Amino acid sequence: MNKAPWIFLGVLFTLSLSWWGMVYGPASQLAGQSADKGDGTAVLPRVGLAKQGEQVYRENGCYYCHTRTATGGEFGYELRLSQLGGDREVTDEVLGENITVENTRLIDLAFEFKYVVAAKKTLDDANKALADAKEKTPELEDAVAVAEKSLKNSAVSFKEVISNVTEKTTDQNEKDTILFRAYGLSGVEIKDKALMIQLGMGEQIIDEHRKIANEAIIKLTHGKAQWGDIEDMVRGLKTRAGAQFKLQPVVIDWPDVQNGVALRQSVTRDFMHDTHAMPGVMQLGPNLANAGGTPALADSNQFYVHLYQPRLINEKSAMPPYRYLFRKIKVNAGETSPKNALKIKGKDLVAGYAIIPTEKAEALFEFLKSLRTDALPEAPIVDNPKPADDQ
Amino acid sequence: MSEPIDNIAPEATPEEINASCRWPVMFLFFSAALWLVKAAIIGVMGSVKLHMPEFLSDISFLTYGHLQANAWVAFLFGFGGNAGLGLTLWMLSRLRGAPLARPGFVIAGTVLWNVGVTAALVGITLGDQNGVAGLELPVYAGRVLLIGQAFIAFSAILTYFSRRHKQLYPSTWYLIGALVALPWIVGTAHWLLAAAPVRGAAQIPVGHWATTSLLQVWLGCLGLAAVLYFIPKIIGRELFSRQWAAFGFWMLLLLGGWVNLNSGSPLPVWQIKLSQFANGLFIFVVIAVGWNLRQTARGVPLLGSENLTLKFMGFALGAWVVSGLFTFCNVFPEWNAILQFTYANTALRHLFAWGFFAMAMLGGIYYVAPRLLGSDLDWPCGRTVRWVYRLIAVGVIIITLAGVGMAWGHGQALQQIGVDAMTLQTKAINPMRIAFLGEILFMVSSFIFLGSLLCLLSRNCCGELSPMALWRQIREAKMEGKTEGGAQ
Repeated sequence: MNKAPWIFLGVLFTLSLSWWGMVYGPASQLAGQSADKGDGTAVLPRVGLAKQGEQVYRENGCYYCHTRTATGGEFGYELRLSQLGGDREVTDEVLGENITVENTRLIDLAFEFKYVVAAKKTLDDANKALADAKEKTPELEDAVAVAEKSLKNSAVSFKEVISNVTEKTTDQNEKDTILFRAYGLSGVEIKDKALMIQLGMGEQIIDEHRKIANEAIIKLTHGKAQWGDIEDMVRGLKTRAGAQFKLQPVVIDWPDVQNGVALRQSVTRDFMHDTHAMPGVMQLGPNLANAGGTPALADSNQFYVHLYQPRLINEKSAMPPYRYLFRKIKVNAGETSPKNALKIKGKDLVAGYAIIPTEKAEALFEFLKSLRTDALPEAPIVDNPKPADDQ
Repeated sequence: MSEPIDNIAPEATPEEINASCRWPVMFLFFSAALWLVKAAIIGVMGSVKLHMPEFLSDISFLTYGHLQANAWVAFLFGFGGNAGLGLTLWMLSRLRGAPLARPGFVIAGTVLWNVGVTAALVGITLGDQNGVAGLELPVYAGRVLLIGQAFIAFSAILTYFSRRHKQLYPSTWYLIGALVALPWIVGTAHWLLAAAPVRGAAQIPVGHWATTSLLQVWLGCLGLAAVLYFIPKIIGRELFSRQWAAFGFWMLLLLGGWVNLNSGSPLPVWQIKLSQFANGLFIFVVIAVGWNLRQTARGVPLLGSENLTLKFMGFALGAWVVSGLFTFCNVFPEWNAILQFTYANTALRHLFAWGFFAMAMLGGIYYVAPRLLGSDLDWPCGRTVRWVYRLIAVGVIIITLAGVGMAWGHGQALQQIGVDAMTLQTKAINPMRIAFLGEILFMVSSFIFLGSLLCLLSRNCCGELSPMALWRQIREAKMEGKTEGGAQ
């Protein structure tokens, strides 16, 4: 280590390692990041006032006292089965012991729907074959007869199952709920009015029942299951049973979600369209990761009053007033203040004057409203059940 | 192959070297002292706003964010740049045994550098900062700084190559490291964060790399070069181990840019994990440097020494070790998760900046400045500089204890459920209110240091006509008058 050129090269090399890891690597990885959310929508850039507001946020150094980073937490999975596959045996095998008696009966009923629809389709096919045939052979007529019998047996079986499933309830609404949940879970669609009437669904499915069917799910796990606990079941449902399901993260211990700071963890795509990414230094003031989704920004007047004089909203607030983001206009007796003048309890904030937000204040408001933790594929919204829901 | 002894130019005497460095380096030192005062005043003004939110609140460029950014830029580039480059030139000249080459370039570079820092402060004041906390150089300021540094580095390179030497002392490695690191870091930040910013979230790791590299690598190299130079020199011993020094140097360069990334950053997991890994490895840097210097100064009480430079360097070394241990603690994500959005990060930055770097630089300036001005000259009021040491030391201890200890409570409250906003605000502000005391001490110490430097310069320029000499004469005359009066 006695030659400066070697030290110079060594310094270049060692520095280049961290440069590669912290500068080149992330820059090249994130440069190709897509805005596509995978459901036909995209993470949109800010436009107009909201875009200008980002600059107001930067100029004023708001990022020193506010962060925009919602951190992760502990969560479990709720495995929500929304549609059954075709094979009952495989489904039972995959679900194993992880299912309640009530849900087993619901699945029984859902499969009865599948059997009835399958029998009906067989009958329709047999009838069509008979009708299309130039000559009505005994085989064709037998096939129709067998299909009719099968449908009849399926309908009988369906009635037995539904009477078992609903034996403990006398309330018709509850019975309908069970029926249409099972219908939804079965994934079949019944259009034949006679069959619908036969199965107790009515001549036409009313909106309320359709909603029940569409939203029908069975919670296979409570929200505390970890991936290792359910991995086999998830793979089985997907690859063997052909079922449709959703893995919903549920809060176990996640302060930012439980405190209403955000709906999920912040990820890189929350910053992808930022001209200046400002994740924040300190949480001296509120975390703004989901500012646009909080009630604090629902009322623009309330926000502007807070910005103009925070201690009018909270007398112990440590936030400095940003009066220079407002114009103060004299209002003569008899004149009314402009519509956008700041009000407190219905009156002008400063008697005899109208306090009007400047374009910078409006831009800042729009920027803060644009900060949201909406669902992204890589960061789904986390369920935060209230304590009562747990029990 | 070693150089034949005949090829080595004769070593310049310390007097020759000091004479060659006199005005360029003193210009850098004086600029550093001025910026230190500015940084401390702006920092205190920012902190006042936490006590009194209404304080100067109608002036748009005096928000807490503006003041924090300005205070740090004034410290980092104003004080850090000037003091660091000044000591670099002097140490390099002494270590190479050659007079400073092309001092005119240094003066031109210093002017440019200070113009750059001024432009940065004006730019931030006007709202041109780039939004990267810790490195908020407006695009135009970065360019001027780079040109200024190039001028000064040119002189340093010529000085280095003006005399061949058998062996490079470890401080030289660190000085070369600092000279290379600065343009690379500022250039990257200028290019990827200001001139042609990378996309969205990629700015977060780029900004982190730049800010942490400036701190750990640039300031770290400058400060450690001074510590490694002055401690053995003053106690009159050889450095314990060149191998340990080399290991510490390369590990610092290797890891400096990776460390201290927040575990909650909205970034790919691999980056956060790599940073945690680097935090863990950083313990080896601490051990290598700390152990080497501990063995070198074995039995010598650095903080208890009568030599003020040694005290400065001892405190700087201690602060660097403590700061390094805090960096190591970030290997535990649970630790970092609690402190990441609290005042602790700022407090630890103060520990590094004031406790380590400023102490090392001020200690170095304390040693070098009188020698630059004349061999028979000493600080006019040596005791006042002791107060600089004491005040900064107490300030650093207050800020570190309050910043980390009380911020821990804030961090824990952030991790709890249902803590109301006012409680969180109180827990967030309390450490900053205590730390305010430390910032006031920094401000007072910076004034004392600037005053002392002015007195030293005036003594050099005016001799017995300097203000301090005149003051002493007046005081002595008064004392004599009193004595005569008493006798009568």
